[in-house]
Amino acid sequence: MSWLLDPLSQGFMQRAFIAGMLVGGLCACIGVFVVKRGLSFIGDGLAHATFGGIALGLWLELGVQQAVWVALPFTVVVSLGIAYVLRSGRLGGDVATGVFFAVSFALGVLFLGLRPPEAPMVNVESVLFGSILAIGHADLYMVAGVTVVATLLLGATWSRLAYATFDPALARLSGVPVAALDYMLLALTAVVIVVSVKTVGVVLVSSFIVIPAAAAGLVARSIGRMSLLAVTLGVFGAASGLLASYHLNVASGATIILLLGFFFALALGFHTLRRS
Amino acid sequence: MSAGRPSLGSLTQPDRETQPCVFEVSGVTKRYGEHLVLDDVSFWIPKGEFLCLCGPNGAGKSTLLKVILGLEKPDSGTVRIGPPGRTTERATSHEVGYVPQHKAFHRDFPARVEDLIVANFRGRWPYRIREQERAAADAALARVGGQHLWGKEISKLSGGQMQRVFLARALVTNPTLLILDEPTAGVDIRGRAEFVEVLFEISRSEELAAILVTHHMGEVARTAERVLYLEHRVLAWGLPDELLGRDDLAAISDPGARSTRWDPLPVCAEEHT
Repeated sequence: MSWLLDPLSQGFMQRAFIAGMLVGGLCACIGVFVVKRGLSFIGDGLAHATFGGIALGLWLELGVQQAVWVALPFTVVVSLGIAYVLRSGRLGGDVATGVFFAVSFALGVLFLGLRPPEAPMVNVESVLFGSILAIGHADLYMVAGVTVVATLLLGATWSRLAYATFDPALARLSGVPVAALDYMLLALTAVVIVVSVKTVGVVLVSSFIVIPAAAAGLVARSIGRMSLLAVTLGVFGAASGLLASYHLNVASGATIILLLGFFFALALGFHTLRRS
Repeated sequence: MSAGRPSLGSLTQPDRETQPCVFEVSGVTKRYGEHLVLDDVSFWIPKGEFLCLCGPNGAGKSTLLKVILGLEKPDSGTVRIGPPGRTTERATSHEVGYVPQHKAFHRDFPARVEDLIVANFRGRWPYRIREQERAAADAALARVGGQHLWGKEISKLSGGQMQRVFLARALVTNPTLLILDEPTAGVDIRGRAEFVEVLFEISRSEELAAILVTHHMGEVARTAERVLYLEHRVLAWGLPDELLGRDDLAAISDPGARSTRWDPLPVCAEEHT
C-alpha cells in the first residue's frame, strides 16, 4: 500500500488529490450537458475569457489573488452573453464562443496596457495556468465550496437539464423552464471554470469538461449512465493521473490528460467493436 | 374570402349545433416587423376530427403551430383548447400532444424509446422509470403498434420507427389535441406509408382532435376528415372531397395568375389514385 500511502502522507499531494477529484467530477458532470449541446469549445473559451477579468482586476489596482473576484463576475457576464447569442438562434455555439472569447481576451490585453507604467509586474500566466500541485488551503476551500453549491444546483435540475439538452422545444412544451436553465448552465460553467482554472490550469479544465463526457457518451446508452460514467472517469482520471505522475516523476496535469485520453481511446474502441 | 378572388363555392365546415368544439383559433394575427404572417386566422375543431393543414412554404403554417403551442404570442386573437367557456386560454402541457418533424431532433442523444415517452409523461427526463410510467409508456406504444420498440436505443431507429415513437410520446398524456408538424418529411417511402397507416387508424378509432401539417397530398387523402388551406389567411376550409383535386385552388392561391407556383391539391388526386 506504500504506493498509495506515500504520496497521500504529503500535504501538497492531499490537497491536489482532493482538488483534482472535485474539479474532475464537477467538470465532467457539467461536460455531459456542454458536450451534448455541441458546446465543447466553451471550456476553452471561458477559461481564456477569465484572462479579461483578471486583467480588469489588475487595472483596478487589485492584487492577483483579489483579481479573481473580478474575473468571476466578468466571466459569468461573458457566459450569459454567449447564452443570449445562442438563444437568439442565429449563431452556432462555436461561433458565439469564438467571438466572446476573442473580444474578452482582447479586452484583457487592453486593460493590462492601461495600467500605469509604475504598476508592479504581474505574471498573469501564473494565475491562468495554475498548477494542481501548488494548491493552497484557501484555493481548496474555494473549490470545495463551489463543488457543494454546483452539486446541489445540478442535482436539483439534472432531469430538466437533460430534457432541455435533448430538445429545447419539446422540453419547453412539457413545462421545462428552458431559458432559465440555459443561462444557469452557462453561468455555472463560468464559475466552475474560473475557480478551477486558478487551481488546476486552463488545459486541465478544458480536458475535464470534454474528455470524460465524450468517452462516456460513446459507451453509455442513457444520459443518466453517461453522467455517472463521466463523473467516475473525471474523478478516477484525476486520482490515478496524480498517482502515476508522482511515481513516474512527470508533470501531473499532462499525466491526467493523457490518462483521460487513454480512457477515451478505450471507449472509442469499445464503441467501434459494439457497432461492428 | 376577399373580393376579387375566385369563389370555391359552398364548403362544409363543422356544425357547432351538433359537434362539440374542443379547440378554437379566433382572429389570430401575427406580424414579424412589416411582414403579416397570419391575418385574422379563425377556425375550430370538433371532438375527434382530424384536420389537415395545407398551404405553400412560407404561408404561416409553422407560425400558426407555434402560436397554438404557446411558443409565440399572437399580436391579436386567441387560441383556446378545451370546451367553450373555459376560463383559461393557456393549454397545459398535457393537453396538447406534439409530433415534431423527423429532421428536427437530436439523434445521437443516449436514450431509449421509453425514456423519450416517459419524459413527456413526467415533464422531466427520467433517471429511473416508475411502474406507473412504465405502464403508461407501454400503453402509448401499443396505440401506435410499436410495442416491439420498447428498450431500443433511439439512435438505432429508422425514420418511420422514430416518428412512431414520437407519436406514442405525444399520446402518452392522453391529450385533447394532437399536433403533427410534417411528421413524415425526410422519412423514407416505406416508413412514411407505415406512419400514415398508424395515423389513419388513430384518426378513425380514437376520439382525438388532431392537426396534421403536410405537403403530401396522399396523407391528406388518407387521414383528413377536414382540410384547411392557409396562405397567411384561411383560403379554404372544407371536406377533403370538396377540395382534393380542385384545379381552381391555384387561382385562389394566386388570383389572376393561375400559375403553377403552388398547386398541391390537384397533385393529391394523382397521388391518391
